Amino acid sequence: MGKIGIIIQREFNERVRKRSFILTTILTPLLFIGIMVAPALLMRLKTSSDKRIEVVDRSGIVASQLKNGDKLIFQPSDRTPEQIKAARSAGEEESLFGILVIGADVMDNPKDVQLYTYESSTLEIETAISKRIAQILENEKLRQYDIDSLPQILEKVKTDVTLQAFRIDESGRDKESSSALSMGAAYLFGILIYLFVFLYGAMVMQGVIEEKSSKVLEIMVSSVKPYQLMMGKILGIATVAIVQFLIWIVVIFVGGSLAAHAFAGDLAAGAQAMQGSMPADMEGITPETLAAIRSATDPAFLAQIFGGFLVYFIGGYLLYAAMFAAIGSAVDNVADSQQLQLPVTIPMILAFLVMINVMKDPHSPLAVWFSMIPFTSPIIMVARIPYGVPVWQLVLSVVLLYGSFVGMVWVAGKIYRVGIFMYGKKPSFRELYKWIRYKY
Amino acid sequence: MDLLRVEHVTKRYANHTALGDVSLAIPQGSIYGLLGPNGAGKTTLIRIINRITAPDQGKVYLDGREIAPEDIYKIGYLPEERGLYKKMKVGEQALYFAMLKGMPRREAVRELRAWFTKFGIREWWDKRVEELSKGMAQKVQFIVTVLHRPQLLILDEPFSGFDPINANLLKEEILQLRDQGATVIFSTHNMASVEEICDHITLINHSRDILSGEVNDIRHRHGNNIFQVDFRGDREALRMALQEQCTLLEGAEEDSIYQSLKLHVADDARVRDVIALINEQVEIRSFREIIPSMNDIFIKAVAGELKTN
Repeated sequence: MGKIGIIIQREFNERVRKRSFILTTILTPLLFIGIMVAPALLMRLKTSSDKRIEVVDRSGIVASQLKNGDKLIFQPSDRTPEQIKAARSAGEEESLFGILVIGADVMDNPKDVQLYTYESSTLEIETAISKRIAQILENEKLRQYDIDSLPQILEKVKTDVTLQAFRIDESGRDKESSSALSMGAAYLFGILIYLFVFLYGAMVMQGVIEEKSSKVLEIMVSSVKPYQLMMGKILGIATVAIVQFLIWIVVIFVGGSLAAHAFAGDLAAGAQAMQGSMPADMEGITPETLAAIRSATDPAFLAQIFGGFLVYFIGGYLLYAAMFAAIGSAVDNVADSQQLQLPVTIPMILAFLVMINVMKDPHSPLAVWFSMIPFTSPIIMVARIPYGVPVWQLVLSVVLLYGSFVGMVWVAGKIYRVGIFMYGKKPSFRELYKWIRYKY
Repeated sequence: MDLLRVEHVTKRYANHTALGDVSLAIPQGSIYGLLGPNGAGKTTLIRIINRITAPDQGKVYLDGREIAPEDIYKIGYLPEERGLYKKMKVGEQALYFAMLKGMPRREAVRELRAWFTKFGIREWWDKRVEELSKGMAQKVQFIVTVLHRPQLLILDEPFSGFDPINANLLKEEILQLRDQGATVIFSTHNMASVEEICDHITLINHSRDILSGEVNDIRHRHGNNIFQVDFRGDREALRMALQEQCTLLEGAEEDSIYQSLKLHVADDARVRDVIALINEQVEIRSFREIIPSMNDIFIKAVAGELKTN
C-alpha cells in the first residue's frame, strides 16, 4: 500500500470512529425530515387570534359587504376614527386590532382607504383587505351597468387553467416535465453542495491546523512528502464524505419505503371512504402533481440528478479542499484563518446568489457561464441538471472542474510545503503568492 | 568511511542566509554533535539532510552517493518539537508512523512490542496519547524514530523533558544503536551530554561552521596551559618560586586535605621545568591540566573570543 493509501486509511478510521461522525450520520437525515416537516407543524401551531377591525365607511358601500374570514372580523362602525381612538385610550376596546377608514368617494378614488392598527400589521393582512375591497368595488361598478342575470354570467365566465408541461428531449420524444419538481430538486441539491463542500472542506483545514499546531507534521515530513500528506488528507476525508452519503441514501430509501409501507393501510382506507361518501372530484391532485410524481419516480431522472450531484460534489469538494488545506497550512489556529478564507467563501456565496437566478432561467448565458467556471459550477450545474442540460456542456464543465482541481492541488501543494514550517506570523496574500514561487 | 557528507551547502531565505557554505563529514558509526546557539541554522541543515528542503548550493552525499528520495527510509528523525496525534491510541499511532517509514505491518507490530517491553510501557499500547505525560510521549516518539533501524539517526535535543533515570536509559539505547552500526547526529545545547557521548562536533554560529573536529582534540587544542597543583607545604614559598614562569589564577578547586593553586604557565616556559620548581618547594600530591569544558568552548567560540577555523 502506498503512503497516500496509509494516510487515507488513518484519516478515514480516525474520523469514522469518532462519536461526532456517528451522531451526524444519524442526525442529519432526521434534521432534513425536520426541516421539511417543521413548516407544516408551525402552520398548524400558529394560534394567532381573530383580529377585530372597526370599519368607518364614509362611502356606505363597502362595510356592509366586507366578509369576515381568514381570522379577520370586520365590524361596521358609526363612530369617527377619533371617537374610537379616544375610547381605546380610555381603556375600552382592548381587543380592537385596528380601524379601517374608507373614503366617501372610494368608487372614483380607490386610493382613499386607510388602515390604522394597534399592533403591527402584516403584508398578508393588508393584501387580504385590499383584495376584498377591490372585489366589492368591481362588483359595484359592474352592477352599475345594469346587466341582466349578471351573477350567472359571472359564474359562467369563471375559468381555471392548469397547464400540462412537456419537454422535448434530444431523441425527439416529449416527456412530461414538472417545473415545480425541477425547481425543488435544483434548490435542494444546490444547497446541499454548498453546505457539504464547506463542511468537509473546513474539516480538511482543521485537520491540517491540528497537525501543524501539535507538531505532528515535523515527524511526518521526514517520512512522507508534504504533497502526499496533503493529498492523503483530502482524499481520506473524501472517503468519509462518500461513505456518509451512501449511508444517508440507504437510510432515506429504506426509511422512505418503510414509511410508504406504513401509510399504505391509511391510503387504502382513504380510498374506500372516498368511494363511499366523497364526490369523485379529487381535489388537490392536478396534472402538475401527477407529472411531478411521475418524474420523481423516473429512474433515469433520479440517476441523472444523483449522479450529477455526486460528480459535482466530489469535484467541488476536491477543488475547495485543496484551497482549505493551503489555508490551514499557512496559519497557526482557526481564528487566524478567517481572512484567508475570503477567496474560498466569496465564489461560493456568489454561486449561491447566481443559483437563485438560474432557477428562473436555467439556460440564460449567466447560468451557462457560471456552470462552466470551476469555482461555481458545482452549485450552478447541479441546480441546472434537473431542467436538462446539453451533454457537451456537462462534459466541458466536468473536465474544467477536475482539471482545475489538478491545477489547484499544484498551487496548494506549494503553499502547504512552505506553510507547514511557518509559525507565529499570519501571512498575507502577497506572502502566499511568494510561497508559490519558492523553489525547492 | 563517512556515512554522510555535506559539501558547501548554502541556503538563503528571502532576507537572510540560513546556512553559508557549510561542510561536514560524519564518519560511519560515530555520534556527531551538531551544536550552535538558537537560530544558528542547525534546523535548516537537518531539514536539508532530511530532504524536507533543498539547498540553494552544495550537495549532500549518503554512503558516497548523492542523497535520493528513497533515502529518507534510511534516516530516523526525532524533531525538537515533539508531536503526536493526541486522540490516537499509542500503539496504533506508533504503527502508523512505522508503516509510513515503509515497514510492513507485521514486522512493525513485532518490533514495536519488543521496544515497548524494553521501555516498560507495554500497558500503554491502548492508551490515548493525551493520557500520557510529556516524558512518556517522548519515549514513544523515540521508539518511533529508531524502530525501522535507520542507518542515520538525527536526534534533536533527545534528552529534554526526561528525568535523569530515563535520560540515562535513553543514552544507553543511543550508544547501543551506535554499537550496532547506526550513525547518530545529535543536536543539542546540553554540553555535558556532548562531552559524554559525542565523538565529533560541528559548531554552527550565524549560519557558518565555526568549529569542528573530534571532541577530545578540540578540548586539548583549546587548553590554555592552565594547570592545578595540589600539595602539602608552604604556600607562600611556592608562590614566590613560581612568580617568574607562571601567573597565579583565582578559582582553584580546593579541598580540605591539600592546598591547591591554579596557574597559567607562560607560553615560553616548559611544563616539566615548572613541575621541577614546585617539587623543590612542596610535596606534590597531584598536578593536572585543566582542560576547558565544551560549555566554556561553546560560549567562547560563539562570543568570538576563540581562535576558530
